[in-house]
Amino acid sequence: MNLDTFLGISIWSIVKIFVMFANLIYIVFALVMVRQVKLMTDTLELGYEKIIIGFSYVNLTFAILVIIYSFLTL
Amino acid sequence: MPDIFISPEDVEKEKSEKKNERKTTPSQAKGKSGHKVHIPLWASYGYYPENVKFIDQEPQENVILFLRAHLITNLGWILVGVFMIFAPLLLEKFPLLDFLSLRFQIVAILGWYMITMAYMFEKFLSWFFNVNIITDRRVVDVDFTNLIYREITDANLNKIQDVTVSMGGVFRSIFNFGTILVQTAGEKNFIEFVDIPKPDTVAGILSDLRLEEENRGKGGSKL
Repeated sequence: MNLDTFLGISIWSIVKIFVMFANLIYIVFALVMVRQVKLMTDTLELGYEKIIIGFSYVNLTFAILVIIYSFLTL
Repeated sequence: MPDIFISPEDVEKEKSEKKNERKTTPSQAKGKSGHKVHIPLWASYGYYPENVKFIDQEPQENVILFLRAHLITNLGWILVGVFMIFAPLLLEKFPLLDFLSLRFQIVAILGWYMITMAYMFEKFLSWFFNVNIITDRRVVDVDFTNLIYREITDANLNKIQDVTVSMGGVFRSIFNFGTILVQTAGEKNFIEFVDIPKPDTVAGILSDLRLEEENRGKGGSKL
């Protein structure tokens, strides 16, 4: 019995779909985080808004790069 | 020439003037020190901070005290975060991902770092933006309980009924932080300053501000 296939579909293709789906969910989460940071910095100004907003975009960019990497290599 | 008769009202007035001379009230303190203080990113206590503005702040309203949880309260999640950063190194000792191909292993590690980043950033934001502000008019509590929920509670200084300071445990005693419960006559019965540094000093400042507000109120009512 070949363990690499399930109903004629490669198991690694299924794993790849799951990975992509998880990455997409993370991107949505990162987008919510960007919105949240915007809401927070609108509520309270402490002079460090650029750094914090910048970091939220770094997080979002990282998530996008990971999904691109996963798509290209898996 | 000595006074033969001094009315009780004048005596009271003189006493209160002397009392006020003795003590510098918080709103006079800025005038004496001459300038406001720029608070750093990691500060959890700021007396007359210059770089603090909040939503609904009135144009003439001055921030007297800026507070958030003591820096040491972040120790727990920082340690967990550092462990999460170095956890993939343990894979050399415990090869849990060896059944995966190298490409899948790399993606799994990248995913792990995404989770680590989100965890640490969320914790930092939660600490950074949950603040308490005392102005010359009111006490403000800004709370972000989850990703998109914001709660701002405020109470005028003349609505404050009672201030309770609670401080206990080894950590709190060593690093001098605690919780202040401000009971108010407003819609919400209390405002909580959780794990703030120098709770006794803060309670003292609040008490001074309340006195000042009361005196102002009495002065206003006489007019």
